[in-house]
Amino acid sequence: MTLLAALFSHYRRHPLQLLALAAMIVLATMLWTGVHHLTSQARASLDQSESAVAERQQIARQDGKPLTVEDFVELRRAGLCVMPWWEVPSRQGGRVVGIDPLAAGCFESPDSEEAPWQGELDGRPFIDISEAAKLAGKNEGGLTLLISDPHIDGALPEGYRLAPFRVGPDTGELGDSFLLNLDALGVLVLLITALLVRSVYLLGMAQRRDSFALLHRFGVPQARINRLLVVEILLLALLCIVPGIWLGRWLATGLGSGFGRALEGLFDQPLYAGQGGNWLVPLATMLTVVLVACLADFLRPWARAFAGSSRRSGGLVVLVLIAGLALSAWVTDLLWLFIAVALVFVAAGILAPRLIAWLADWRSGHDRNLQARWRHREVSVLARRLALPLVALQFAMAMVLPVQALVTTFESTFDRWLAQRLEADYYIEVPESADATLAVDWLAEQPELAASGLWHRVIRGRATLPGNGDEAGTEVDVFAIGPVGPLVTDWQLLESASRPWQRLQQGQGVMVNEQLARRQNVQVGQSLEVTLGSGSFEFPVLATYPDYGRPAGEILIHPSVLPEDFATGFQSLSVSPGNLDVEEVTGGLKRVWQVDELTVRDNRAIEELATAIFDQTFLLTRAMTTLTLILAAIALLMMGWVFFSTRAWYFRLLVVWGLSVRQASAQLIRLSVSLTAAITLLALPLGIWLTWVLVHRINPIAFGWSLPMAVYPRFWLELGVLSLLIGLSIGLLMMRQLKSPTVAPVNANALAGGER
Amino acid sequence: MRRWILMLSIVVLAGCSESQQEAGFAGLAGVAENDAEVPFLQPGPGDRLIFPDDFGPHPQHRIEWWYLTANLRTEEGEPLGLQWTQFRQAITPRPADAEPPEAADWPLEAAWMAHAAVSFDARHYFAEKLARGDVGHAGAQAQPLAVWLDDWQLEATSESESWRLQVAADGWSYDLSLSINGKPVAHGDNGFSAKSADGEGSMYFSLVDLHIEGTVTLGNETLEVAGKGWFDREWSSQFLKSGQQGWDWFALHLESGDKLMAFQLREEDGGFRSGTWIPEDGEPVALQPSQLRIRPEEPDARGFPRLWRLEVPDYGVSLEISAPPGNYLNDGLYPYWESPVTVAGSHSGEGYMELTGYGDRTLSAYSTAVAPIRWMLRSAPLNSSSSVRRSPEMALITP
Repeated sequence: MTLLAALFSHYRRHPLQLLALAAMIVLATMLWTGVHHLTSQARASLDQSESAVAERQQIARQDGKPLTVEDFVELRRAGLCVMPWWEVPSRQGGRVVGIDPLAAGCFESPDSEEAPWQGELDGRPFIDISEAAKLAGKNEGGLTLLISDPHIDGALPEGYRLAPFRVGPDTGELGDSFLLNLDALGVLVLLITALLVRSVYLLGMAQRRDSFALLHRFGVPQARINRLLVVEILLLALLCIVPGIWLGRWLATGLGSGFGRALEGLFDQPLYAGQGGNWLVPLATMLTVVLVACLADFLRPWARAFAGSSRRSGGLVVLVLIAGLALSAWVTDLLWLFIAVALVFVAAGILAPRLIAWLADWRSGHDRNLQARWRHREVSVLARRLALPLVALQFAMAMVLPVQALVTTFESTFDRWLAQRLEADYYIEVPESADATLAVDWLAEQPELAASGLWHRVIRGRATLPGNGDEAGTEVDVFAIGPVGPLVTDWQLLESASRPWQRLQQGQGVMVNEQLARRQNVQVGQSLEVTLGSGSFEFPVLATYPDYGRPAGEILIHPSVLPEDFATGFQSLSVSPGNLDVEEVTGGLKRVWQVDELTVRDNRAIEELATAIFDQTFLLTRAMTTLTLILAAIALLMMGWVFFSTRAWYFRLLVVWGLSVRQASAQLIRLSVSLTAAITLLALPLGIWLTWVLVHRINPIAFGWSLPMAVYPRFWLELGVLSLLIGLSIGLLMMRQLKSPTVAPVNANALAGGER
Repeated sequence: MRRWILMLSIVVLAGCSESQQEAGFAGLAGVAENDAEVPFLQPGPGDRLIFPDDFGPHPQHRIEWWYLTANLRTEEGEPLGLQWTQFRQAITPRPADAEPPEAADWPLEAAWMAHAAVSFDARHYFAEKLARGDVGHAGAQAQPLAVWLDDWQLEATSESESWRLQVAADGWSYDLSLSINGKPVAHGDNGFSAKSADGEGSMYFSLVDLHIEGTVTLGNETLEVAGKGWFDREWSSQFLKSGQQGWDWFALHLESGDKLMAFQLREEDGGFRSGTWIPEDGEPVALQPSQLRIRPEEPDARGFPRLWRLEVPDYGVSLEISAPPGNYLNDGLYPYWESPVTVAGSHSGEGYMELTGYGDRTLSAYSTAVAPIRWMLRSAPLNSSSSVRRSPEMALITP
C-alpha cells in the first residue's frame, strides 16, 4: 500500500464524511458565487448606467406634451446634438432602451471611453430605436431626447427647455443599500462555510490521528504527511469549487431575471446580463476560505496554543465582546461598525460553547437527580467538542433573524407606502400649458364624482429651510395637496398633533416626512420656518409621516398657503372616479384644458406590478438564508451523529447501570435537544443585536434612513422548532447506535483533536 | 461617381483580410441579399438622365451622392479648398413614387452620411454626420432642390439657378452662395458612366461651372471667399468589381476655360480609366480608357501620391497635378484623401483630387469605427435586386 493510499483510505472508510465535506464546499460555493455574480452584475450596471447618462441633460417641451420624432427632427435641424432614448418594456420582461446609433454619433468624444450604446446593440439593454418603436406599439410617450453637453451653449429653439436626465428616480441609495445587505449576507455565508468545513475537516483529522501516528512510526516524516494533507485538501477544494461555481452561475442566471426585474422595478436599475462576476474571484475566495478553514493549524500553530489556553483567554474574549458592543453603539463610521460586528461575532462564537459548557457544569453540581447531573456533564462535554458546528448553527440563526425581520418590515412598510402613494386609482399629469384651477373647478362640479369618487390636486415645488448660522439652507420638496380627503387622511402617521388633517386642510400647519424629521430634528408641535417663493413663513408641524427610504426632505402643505410667487415644478391630479368612467374624467379635463393628449397612470396596475416585483426581490435573500440555515443544520446533525457515535460506548453504560433502552434513549434525546436549544437561545440575542445594528446603525450611517425595527417572536418560535427537530434527529440516530454493539470505547478527546 | 472611394476602401480591407468582396459606402453591402419584392434598380447603358428629377433622391437605388468641391480664394488671394458631400445608402429599396415609411416608427430603410471639409493654409478641417433615412432630419428633394442632414443643407434659393450651402461644424463653418452656369454635363454614355471594362457603372452628371462666394469661418476668423465649384450627382446599385484596389479621381478647371474629369480604378493589371473632356466651347466628350494616361509620382510618407501626371494626347493635354503641402485625409468613418490641386504643364489650372486605397490607415480606422453601421446591418437585412444586370464576378455577397 502506497503512502497516498494509506493516507486517503480514511475517506474510503468514511465516505459520508468525504461526501459531507464536498457537499458543503459545493453548496457554499454555489451560494456565494450566485450572490457575488448577481451583485457584481448589478453594481456593474449601476456604474455603467451612471456613466452612460452622467451629467446628461434632456430636452422637454415647455407645453409639457410628450416628445415625438418631430421634436427630434426640429432640434437636430436647429443644429443641436440630441439623441433619442426610448425606454420600452421588452418582450422578455424588464426594460430595454431604444437608441439611434447614427444620431448618437455627435455624442462621441475622441478622448472619452466608448459610450455604452456603441458596439453591438443586443438588447442589453440597448436596441435599435426602430425595434423600440415596434415594442412600444401605439403607446406614445416615453421618448426622451438627450442633449450632448458641449452643444447646449446656444439657446434652445422656442418651446423647449432643458431638464436633468437620469435613468430613473433618485433611488441609487436604496439600490446601494440592497446590494450592501446582499454583500453582508455573502460574507456571513463565507464565515459560516468556513466554520462548517473546519468542523467536518477537524473531525476527520482527529479520526485519522492514529493513522498519522502509525505512518510516522513507519518512518514517514511529519512534514511529508502535512504536505500531502495540503495537496489533499487543495485537490478536494478544487474538485468541489469548480462545479460549485458553475452551479452558482446557473443559480444566478435562474434568479437573474427576477433579480433584474426587482432591481429595475425598485430602483429603476436595469440589470445588464453577461457582465460582472468572473470565475477567478469566486475560485480564489472559496479556495482561500476552505484552505484557511482546514489548514489554519498548519499555518498558525500559535492559534492552537491560543485556543488551548481557554481559561486565560476567557477574560480577553469577554473584553473583546464588550469592546465590540461598545463600538457598535458609538462609532459613526461604517468600517468601524463592520469591525465591531466582526468583534462581537468572534467573541460570541468563542463564548457560546464555553457558556453552555459552564452553565451545564454549574447545573450538574446543583442537581440532585443523578441522571440529570450526568446529562448536564455530557452537555458540557458536547458543547466543547462540537463547538464549531454549534457556533455555525448559532451564526446561521443569528443571520436569519435580522434578514427575516428586515424583509418582513420592509414588505409591510413597502405595502403601506405603495398603498399610501397610490391611494387614488388614477394619476393625471397637468400639462404645463394648462391651468390646474380650471380642472379643480370642473372636478368639484361633477356631482357623480362628489358622490362616489375621490380626488385631489398635488402641486410640487421646492422650499428652503433656513440653515444654522453660516450653513446654507436645506432644500426640501413641497407637496401641496388639496382638497385634503380620504385619499390622504388614511396615511399612517408616525407622530401627530390633534386633528392633523383638518388643520392641514385649513392651512394651519405642515406635515413633514420621516427623513426631514430625523435629519433636521423636527418635532411635532414645534414651529418650522420655511421659505416658499420669496417669502418666509412659520408653520406648526402637525405630523410626521413615514416615507420609505426617500432621502429627500418633504413638506406636506395646503395649496391655499402657497404664496403667489411660488414656483410650481409640477402639478398632477389624483382621481378615484368612483361610479364615473375614467374616460369621462379625462375627456372632461381635455375639454377644460383644450389639449388632445393627457398623461394618465393607472395606479392599480402599478401597484400590482410593484408588489409582484417586490416579492421577487427577496426571493434571493430568502433562498440564501434558508439554504445557509439548512446547511448549518445538516452539518450539526452530521457532526452530532458522528460525535455521539464515538460516545456510544459510554451511552451504553446507561443501560448497564440499569436504565431500560427506552429510558436511555430518552436521556439521549433530552441531551441533544438541550444542546441545540441552548445554542438557539444563544443565537437569539446575537440575532436581535444584529437586527438592531442593521436597522439603527448601519442603515442610517450608510444611507441616512432606516426602516422601523421590529422583532417577530413567531419566527423565533419557528427557529426553536427547527432546533428541536435537529436535536430530535440526533437523538433518534443515537437510539440506533445504542442498539448496535460497540467493541471498545473511542477516545473522544482524540476525536476532537486534543492531545493524547 | 467617385465616392466609389468609400466602397473601395472596404474592398481594400477585404483584400487584406478575407476573400475579396465589394461593399457599399457604409459597408452596407457586406451582409446579405434576399429576394425582395421590390428590387434595386441598376443603371446600364442606354439609361437616360431626367431633369430636374435626377437632382432628387433615387430610393430604389442602393447608393447615391451629392458632391461639391470648390477652389476658392480669400480676399487676400490665398487659395482655399472646400468640400461638401451627402451620401445616401438604401437598406431596403423603395419605388420613387411609393410612400415613405412613418417617421414615428424610426424606420431603418436608409442611412445618410454627410462630409464637409475646408483646406486652407496647409490645414485641413473635416467633419462627418450620420443620420437614418425617413425620420426627417436628413433627406433630399429635387424641386426645389434641397439636400440636408441636421443643420447642414444645400438649398435652392428664390433666385433661379442659385443655391445656398450652409455647414456648421465644431469650431468652423461656411455659408456659400452658388450660381450655376451651363447645363449639366452627362458623363459616359449620356449619363451612364462605366466603372469597369465589363460594363458595371453608375448614372453620373456634373455641374462643372459654379461660381461660389460667401464666408468661411475658421475659429474666430471669418474669411470672405469666392471662386469656382464643381458639383456631382451619381447613383447606382452596383459596387466595385472585386480586384479593384483603389480609386484616383480628378476634376480640373483649366485656365483655358476647358474642364476635365478623369478617374481610374486601380487593379493589379492596370485597372479601368475613364473621363470627360469638357471644352469651353462645344459639347463634352467621353474619354475612352485608351485616350487617358494617369500616373502617380512617388507617394508621400503616408502612402498617398501627391504628384500626378495626367495625359489626354488627343486633346494635347499633358498635366502635372500636385496637392499643396499638408495632410488632406478626411478622417471619418472611411478615411480618404480629398485635396485641392494645382495644375501645370500643357495647361495651368486648379481643381480637386480624390484618392483612396493607399496606405493602411483605412483598415484600422474602418475596423474601429464601423461598429454602429455594422450593427445596423445585422438588424435590417439588405434587400437587393435579382433582376439587375450583373456579371458573375460581381458577387456582392459575403457569406
